[in-house]
Amino acid sequence: MRTTQKTMAGLLRAGMYLIVALTAGMGLGACTTTTIDEFRQGDTGLNTGESVVILGRRQGAAYETASDFVECVGTRMGRGNGAITVVPEQIFVDALFPWFEPRTAPMRSEDLQQLMAQPLVTDKMAEFGVRYIVWLDGQTETTNRMGSISCAVGPGGGGCFGFGSWEDDSSFEARIWDVSSHTAVGTISADASGQSYVPAVFVPIPLIARVEANACNSLADQLKLFVQGG
Amino acid sequence: MRSEIRTGRISLWQRRFRAMVLMSLGALVLSACGASTVVVEGTYPSPNIPPLPMTLGVYYSDALRAHVYTERTDAGKDEYLVNSGGSHVELFNTVLPAMFQQVVVLDDPAMANERGVDAVFIPNIDEFQLGMPQKTRLDSYEVWVKYNMRLTAPDGGYIADWVMTAYGKTPQATFGSAEGGINDAAVAAMRDLASNFSISFTSVPDVRDWLQPRLQ
Repeated sequence: MRTTQKTMAGLLRAGMYLIVALTAGMGLGACTTTTIDEFRQGDTGLNTGESVVILGRRQGAAYETASDFVECVGTRMGRGNGAITVVPEQIFVDALFPWFEPRTAPMRSEDLQQLMAQPLVTDKMAEFGVRYIVWLDGQTETTNRMGSISCAVGPGGGGCFGFGSWEDDSSFEARIWDVSSHTAVGTISADASGQSYVPAVFVPIPLIARVEANACNSLADQLKLFVQGG
Repeated sequence: MRSEIRTGRISLWQRRFRAMVLMSLGALVLSACGASTVVVEGTYPSPNIPPLPMTLGVYYSDALRAHVYTERTDAGKDEYLVNSGGSHVELFNTVLPAMFQQVVVLDDPAMANERGVDAVFIPNIDEFQLGMPQKTRLDSYEVWVKYNMRLTAPDGGYIADWVMTAYGKTPQATFGSAEGGINDAAVAAMRDLASNFSISFTSVPDVRDWLQPRLQ
């Protein structure tokens, strides 16, 4: 009886050491690399009372820009130092229905000129004080899924054992249009990638690389500087 | 005494547990037998377009009002019943008043003359298709609808008859239900119809020809 207890305690201790070692090792590994590129085509700046709207591109058949990501960028731009007034996507799209739907949204900055010729559209834009429209286009893809985790539950308890990992790649592009001049003033792209791990010894420990969150934060910070003319 | 009380408690909990298991199993069996009904519910914004200076009569047929699409399994069993009739009526009741100066809902197209309308609009659904992630191997729910739109004179004479299609999709949420996904995709498709219809109405050749002398 005592021998069995000792063996169980030894196993538990070994398991704990393994978890600590894996956590420490993978904690370093679950990092994200983010690259931001900026291309400026015109001068920018925001006057008092002017705002920005961030819209997701959803014309593609293969993917559509997630509304969560659009919301994340908007929220980040709207807080902290030099916070900008950001019009929420859904409120803007509903207020300007049917001009910013996937089928009808302007694809090129030249189309904006045509759209702004509609008095009802101009009035709504003025109501929101929109100076810049930011079109976000991109997605996060998960690749290189490896490993497996098995879990079992019995009368005496349960547990998991195994190891899983995957890689996330986020690639987003923001095109900025100036509503006052109907021109494209720049493009900012954000590429982020990172490896996530889930070691499991009795309990699964997810070590998730915050790839999309990092892409969102970096892109939002850069956009904030860009529209303010920085 | 203490032992008796404990035994009593255990048996009570056991009985409750058994009842819960039986109820869950019963619910599971019942849900496995029947198809799930999705009554499409959504909100539709009013279009920002200048209204046409005319009175439009609109007639919603029983087929449109009570439209239900049945999605079947590969074995031919009813899996989902998508009831979009009510939502379609709600959509047109939101869109049309923004497109025309006045809109009159007709219970019968024959009443058009006495109600003094300039034309009668009769929308109908020709086809409804549903794309489920488990069948399409895509991470989204998709809805595709083909409509037949008819515009007649108050006396029933031909003005225009055209086909419109609408498409909507919504990503499959990790913990979302299939019913929620179907609803959101259907609402997206109907929103697509509303945007396309409100912008392209005056460009339909027969409608344009009919409108031209009236707008001069």
